[in-house]
Amino acid sequence: MRPFFFTRIQYTSGNWDTDQRMPSNLLHSLVEYTTIPIDEKEKIVQLISNEIFKSPFCYLSGHKLVEFSSQERDHFKRYVENGGFVFVDDCNHDIDGLFAKSFEQEMERTFGPKALQKIPNNHPIYHSFFKFEDGPPTTSFELNGWGDDLVHDYLKAITINGRIGVLYSNKDYGCEWDYDFRNKRFLAVDNTRFGVNVVVYALMG
Amino acid sequence: MPIILTESEAKALLQKVLKYSKADECEVNIMGEERGNIRYARNEVSTSGALINQNLEVQSAFGKKVGVATVDEFSDEAIEKCVRRAEELAQLAPENPEYVGVLGPQTYGKSNGFFDSTAAINPDVRANAVAKSLELTRAQNLTAAGFLENQKGYRAMMNSKGLFAYYPSTNVNFSLTVRTEDGKGSGYVARGYSDVNKLDTAAATNVAIIKSKGSVGARALEPGKYTVILEPTAAVVLLENIFFSMDARSADEGRSFLSKPGGKTKLGEKIVDERVNIYTDPANPDLPSSPWSGDGQPINKMSLIEKGVVKNMFYSRYWAQKNNVKPVPFPSNVIMDGGTATLEEMIKSTKQGILVTKLWYIREVDPQTLLQTGLTRDGTFYIENGVIKYPIKNFRFNESPVIMLNNLETLGKPERVVSTESDRNYLIPPMKIREFTFSSLSDAV
Repeated sequence: MRPFFFTRIQYTSGNWDTDQRMPSNLLHSLVEYTTIPIDEKEKIVQLISNEIFKSPFCYLSGHKLVEFSSQERDHFKRYVENGGFVFVDDCNHDIDGLFAKSFEQEMERTFGPKALQKIPNNHPIYHSFFKFEDGPPTTSFELNGWGDDLVHDYLKAITINGRIGVLYSNKDYGCEWDYDFRNKRFLAVDNTRFGVNVVVYALMG
Repeated sequence: MPIILTESEAKALLQKVLKYSKADECEVNIMGEERGNIRYARNEVSTSGALINQNLEVQSAFGKKVGVATVDEFSDEAIEKCVRRAEELAQLAPENPEYVGVLGPQTYGKSNGFFDSTAAINPDVRANAVAKSLELTRAQNLTAAGFLENQKGYRAMMNSKGLFAYYPSTNVNFSLTVRTEDGKGSGYVARGYSDVNKLDTAAATNVAIIKSKGSVGARALEPGKYTVILEPTAAVVLLENIFFSMDARSADEGRSFLSKPGGKTKLGEKIVDERVNIYTDPANPDLPSSPWSGDGQPINKMSLIEKGVVKNMFYSRYWAQKNNVKPVPFPSNVIMDGGTATLEEMIKSTKQGILVTKLWYIREVDPQTLLQTGLTRDGTFYIENGVIKYPIKNFRFNESPVIMLNNLETLGKPERVVSTESDRNYLIPPMKIREFTFSSLSDAV
């Protein structure tokens, strides 16, 4: 089995390089809880590059504008429709914020007006490894006086042939999981466990 | 009889108390203190106070049955009544299986915590010290609210096995909040000393003034993880929770941050950055403290955390006996080593970060990870490329001091600080910490 590698999508319109410690922390969790072999190095791939088609799992985040160039849009669409998986996380945790609004518009342009839909809180992704009976776990950033100050009790997704191709969160998991993995031992409950579910779901094809 | 007794006066009084004892074992503690304070608010002195207190506590034991009585009148009649009451209570009490008896005579180190300069403080001295502060704030149309309190006193103990201990001490604490006229800027300073000659209220006031003026027009930054420079006043309120939580019994019983699964503990393990050295030393001239603990054990210089490794936990005499180890008394002072960098140098070497003057209203979230929450206050600033750029709105934080000491970037020069939570004095360096977690915004100034 080829080792799993974490791919971060670099797009041209906004700040794609957020939460720099998150990937190694998530990879650490995969080692800790699963038998999935991993490549320790995060891969950063430009959306305009063909390299993206080699990644089983991609991550895209930011605070600012998401507006793909025509080639970026074409790659994103083809990647998702051909069985790829993108986990998109809104660093603003704000459904009225620039990232959320522009990303959702971009998905409309790319996949059509109703492509992005809320997924039910008993979706298989909430049971793919750890059990999350109430749907997506909350983060410590949701009620912090920044963004819309709402707890988003759902995730959205674009589903292709019954399988999530784009998982979209306004919960700011990226920031929640952005710490030195060595400090995880001091947490009462590991807050990265849902990340393991996302990766396991993405790999189950 | 004076309130504050000399060593020989204390000895004579304690011997007299013990003469009344008919119990198997008897231990007597006495204390006497005089405190004075001055409080000011809205740029005017509002109260001037004094407190005089003395107390005598008798603990009598018949076998493992223990009784305690206290009195604050030291006449022969009152003392005898107090001893009898302790004995009556002991006879009524059930056996205490954890009573280990009193200690025999001990040898204590030297520690000089009593300063004539501080002992001589009177209302005039306090008024003059505060006047220097008020002149500065009034002249600049700022509003000051502060408190200055001095204390002199002694503690002594003696028991029926011949143990005698005596320790006199003095202390002065000064704290001040300065607000701008529009109420939008706020600055804080706190100073504590054993020797009042080290207290410069004008210099301290200027620190709070600069912070109050500088914090007007705060902008909101997104909560998240930031590099922070914690001034000692901010750092200490988190760190003292480490010191308070180093008891062996809670660790052994699975209740503390030093517990490990299966009833084991982290004693001997590296839990924080190797530059962290935390110890107690009653003889430290900048932070003198009592060389004996409440139960009469000697307190000598001792490491708590050395090069990041847990060196000692505190063992009560009972728990030590039960576990076949030496008892380790709770320390009378705590010191953390630092580096040589000044606060200014630490700011200069920061590409992006936040300077925190004060953290307050600290509450425990999880005792097993030492997770704390609280708020920044009285001067929180954004630093970019080595300079303070602008004031920022206050944050709520969620952070464990253990994680904090794992994310250590730099330690500055230690200084004596007063904890705004416990009022205790410590020697603590300013510290630069990576990835400090600010969890939400706060509307307070």
